[in-house]
Amino acid sequence: MNTKTETESNQLQSAASDEVAISMSKVNKWFGNFHVLKDIDLSIYKGERIVICGPSGSGKSTLIRCINRLEEHQDGDISVNGVTLDSNLKNIHAIRSDVGMVFQSFNLFPHLTVLENCTLAPVWVRNMTKTEAQEIAMEYLTRVKIPEQAEKYPGQLSGGQQQRVAIARSLCMNPQIMLFDEPTSALDPEMISEVLDVMIELAETGMTMLVVSHEMGFARRVADRVIFMDYGEIVEQNTPEEFFANPKSDRTKLFLSQILSH
Amino acid sequence: MTEITEQNKVSEKFVPKPSLPPPPNTTGAIGWLRYNLFDGFLSSCLTVLSLIAIGFMCVNFYEWAFAKAVLEAANRQECRITPTEFGTCWAGVKFWFTRFIYGRYTDTEIWRVNSAAIILILWMIPVWLPRVTAKLNIALSGVLIFPFLAGYMFLGGDRNWFMEIMVSVALGCFITVIIHSLLCLFTGAGISKWIIQLTGFSNRSERLHKFPVIMFAVIIFLLSLFLISDVAFKEMPNNLWGGLFLTLVISGIGIASALPAGILLALGRRSKMTVIRVLCVAFIELFRSVPLITILFMATTMFPLFLPEGFHINKLASAIVAVCLFAAAYMAEVVRGGLQAIPKGQYEAAEAVGLTYWQSMGFIVMPQALKYMIPNIVSNFMGLFKDTTLVSIIGLYDLLGMINAVSQDPSWIGLHHEPLFTAAVIFFIGCFAMSKYSQYLERNLGAGHGR
Repeated sequence: MNTKTETESNQLQSAASDEVAISMSKVNKWFGNFHVLKDIDLSIYKGERIVICGPSGSGKSTLIRCINRLEEHQDGDISVNGVTLDSNLKNIHAIRSDVGMVFQSFNLFPHLTVLENCTLAPVWVRNMTKTEAQEIAMEYLTRVKIPEQAEKYPGQLSGGQQQRVAIARSLCMNPQIMLFDEPTSALDPEMISEVLDVMIELAETGMTMLVVSHEMGFARRVADRVIFMDYGEIVEQNTPEEFFANPKSDRTKLFLSQILSH
Repeated sequence: MTEITEQNKVSEKFVPKPSLPPPPNTTGAIGWLRYNLFDGFLSSCLTVLSLIAIGFMCVNFYEWAFAKAVLEAANRQECRITPTEFGTCWAGVKFWFTRFIYGRYTDTEIWRVNSAAIILILWMIPVWLPRVTAKLNIALSGVLIFPFLAGYMFLGGDRNWFMEIMVSVALGCFITVIIHSLLCLFTGAGISKWIIQLTGFSNRSERLHKFPVIMFAVIIFLLSLFLISDVAFKEMPNNLWGGLFLTLVISGIGIASALPAGILLALGRRSKMTVIRVLCVAFIELFRSVPLITILFMATTMFPLFLPEGFHINKLASAIVAVCLFAAAYMAEVVRGGLQAIPKGQYEAAEAVGLTYWQSMGFIVMPQALKYMIPNIVSNFMGLFKDTTLVSIIGLYDLLGMINAVSQDPSWIGLHHEPLFTAAVIFFIGCFAMSKYSQYLERNLGAGHGR
């Protein structure tokens, strides 16, 4: 699969349905005095693939981290698959087990093998037996193309391999939504494409995906909607064709001209 | 091709220079001596002086320990080597050695202490055997359940229903551990696999596998209940316990309880719940700021004053509780230090896959943090082991207490140095073993982690 092809014809068919997967209304969040999310209103439909971009400090990571409550929003409502996020621990655990997350710094568990990384949560959260969990884990490790590394420790893998393990680890929980927090930012240039390939394949399966990323080629190719954020607000959102061809806001134009100038 | 051969003709042939030997007296033993001990006039002087001092001490020690040694004597007076001079009375140490180890425990009952020690060793050996599986369960059962069995073997007397059950459980666990380890060693499969196979559950669903195992546990429990039903040990009240045995009991309980208590306190101190955090901080700071000896005095002399009349608290029990609380407070800070070394991403990743707080602590954070903490934990254990000698001040006859008592004995009056030297050797052996084991643990736990 060639990720560099950015022609319109290669654009994936949208898998978005009418069913709302995540809805956020009037979401506000502060870090101390810093107003990091300002009145965010956003609905994400099942099967929709969304790329969020924006300058650093614009609140994009915080936005997706609010969805599985790694960050707590202070005002407004977030509901995921119809479950409202509040301080009810049961709801939080239910949402977390249905929402997979991939981090910029992989965050694999270094004291467990790749296979154990993938089976831990299914065994303890989904109550699978060990053999079931291992079968599923091997299936997903095969899908991310590293079944042969199953017995190794994360520290023995390259960055790209680690990130693919992290994706497999999330998929083993059979999530309905996947969050990606700058999944390729910590990778060497050569390893970015192997991770993006896996993400594109995942998109083809119709997974609801929220990706914080500056990989504009990936956005063009995969996204149903591109969201641009700055100063804790959603400045602009549109289909990738419109977003890249006719940005409406001058802030978006400036951002695009800077990241696409090289 | 022709070009290359032509170039070869004109280019010079490179011959590496032969390696020459290093300048004389810079390598080997002589080089080391010159560099480290005789590097200049001052250094040489210091070396010579130190050698003289060390030699002097060695000669003196030899004279004290061996040349003047008296190995056979019935009392201190017989240890004289000249009418005015006492020899080094190893005979006294020999005479009292059993007392140093067991205190005033009745001679005919000492086998109980020894067998409890042997049971503990047998219980723990499988943890170090590479072929044995379920090591964590074995170690945990040893720490949590063995004390009931040991407690009864040491104390004896009547058993109430609770002790009856706990002693049977402990005995059952012990039997299971031994069978399991032997099966692992000789057949390579653990006890649960054997049970499942023998009962024919192996081709049934994995979810049903626990039932035959539970059945086995019940049978073993009933068997042990039956085994101990006729066993009754003579009561040995704990004021008879003493010597190294008592030191090991106090420090053993302190060590075993310090780590779990310390983990809970450290987690409490980092908790988001204000009440829990404040309580933990208060406990830790209070017990860290007060000397152990003060806590011991308060536990044994002041605390009983607050109790209702007629309510009696065992001195040993209150000393043990005091030591445990003190050790827990120190351990809490060690654990907190280890927890801070774990990156935030690990907590987040554990939360993001849906693990609960206790699961993410138990499976993700603690296993990693404990590895960083090993050197500090073991230092703490060594400190605790040595600090338990303070209980001799509140009138318990631990190893040091026994040594003091012996020096008061009319026929052995003045026997101080030899027993103290013996105690020093015993403590050194214990602590050095712990230190070596911690180094071994560090090397081995770090092995599989790669970068």
